[in-house]
Amino acid sequence: MGTQFFSFGAAFLGSAVESTEALTIVLAIGLTRGWRAPLLGTVAALVALAVLVIFFGQLIVTRIPDSALKLLVGTLLLLFGLRWLHKAVLRSAGVVDLHDEERAYQHTVDQLKDATDWVGFILALKGVFLEGLEVVFIVIAVGGTGKGLPVAVAGGLLAMVVVAITGVVVRQPLARVPENTLKYAVGVILTSLGTFWAAEGMGASWPLDFVSIGGLAIIYFAASRLAVQLIRRPALA
Amino acid sequence: MNFLRAAVRQVVGLFVGDWLQSIVIVVILAAGWFAFSKLGTPAVVLLVLLLAGQMVWFARAEARRSRKLV
Repeated sequence: MGTQFFSFGAAFLGSAVESTEALTIVLAIGLTRGWRAPLLGTVAALVALAVLVIFFGQLIVTRIPDSALKLLVGTLLLLFGLRWLHKAVLRSAGVVDLHDEERAYQHTVDQLKDATDWVGFILALKGVFLEGLEVVFIVIAVGGTGKGLPVAVAGGLLAMVVVAITGVVVRQPLARVPENTLKYAVGVILTSLGTFWAAEGMGASWPLDFVSIGGLAIIYFAASRLAVQLIRRPALA
Repeated sequence: MNFLRAAVRQVVGLFVGDWLQSIVIVVILAAGWFAFSKLGTPAVVLLVLLLAGQMVWFARAEARRSRKLV
């Protein structure tokens, strides 16, 4: 139950960030060139992604032994989570610019100048599929162990629906979504889940079981804040 | 072909931002596994501290690099 809560939360937050980026591309095409091509591209990408989730999700859950699966997924989650956390630390410290949805929107609009109609379809398909790949990985990775795949899929789908509805209502890029904060939080959660599962895959048993994930999250968050402080120190400037 | 290349880049990019850091993380996990076989569960403390430590070190190193470039 506890790990399922973390799985749902990680899948929801991670998917919300990636869905926001995909929505920016679809909105840019739809608002400048009409909705038919980007919506068809989005549907095609979503179908391809659903096939990936069902195929790999089943394959992973049914074919790989539990301890090997935990070690493999834990390692991948660690690599993925630490990468997001690394970027979030650099953004928080002001070393790297914050992700700007307005700029991403404008970039897509610029790509559409003088383009033929099918370019809108291809851009939407590519944007939604590539951003969606990250959602698929997050969902399979956080749900693929501990029998939590349905919960993780639910978290991912709910995030996509919430972002899509918000996009339809406001009809502009969701520039106010605190992407860096979300990525920071998801980075901490995924890194903690990754450590938890990788160690379980090695045969370790955690004190207090899933509650340890909370302790790991506190340690990684503290380490990331320390990194931000060290980077901001004037001696480095 | 470009689309496939972008997809492959995206998948690799999910896990690897800096190859050196990714290798260090995998080496830490391998060392943690080895330590676990010798020390048992207390080895996970070492594992967590090393993982947190490398995060601080690599973030600081990248900050230094990017400031030198400015």
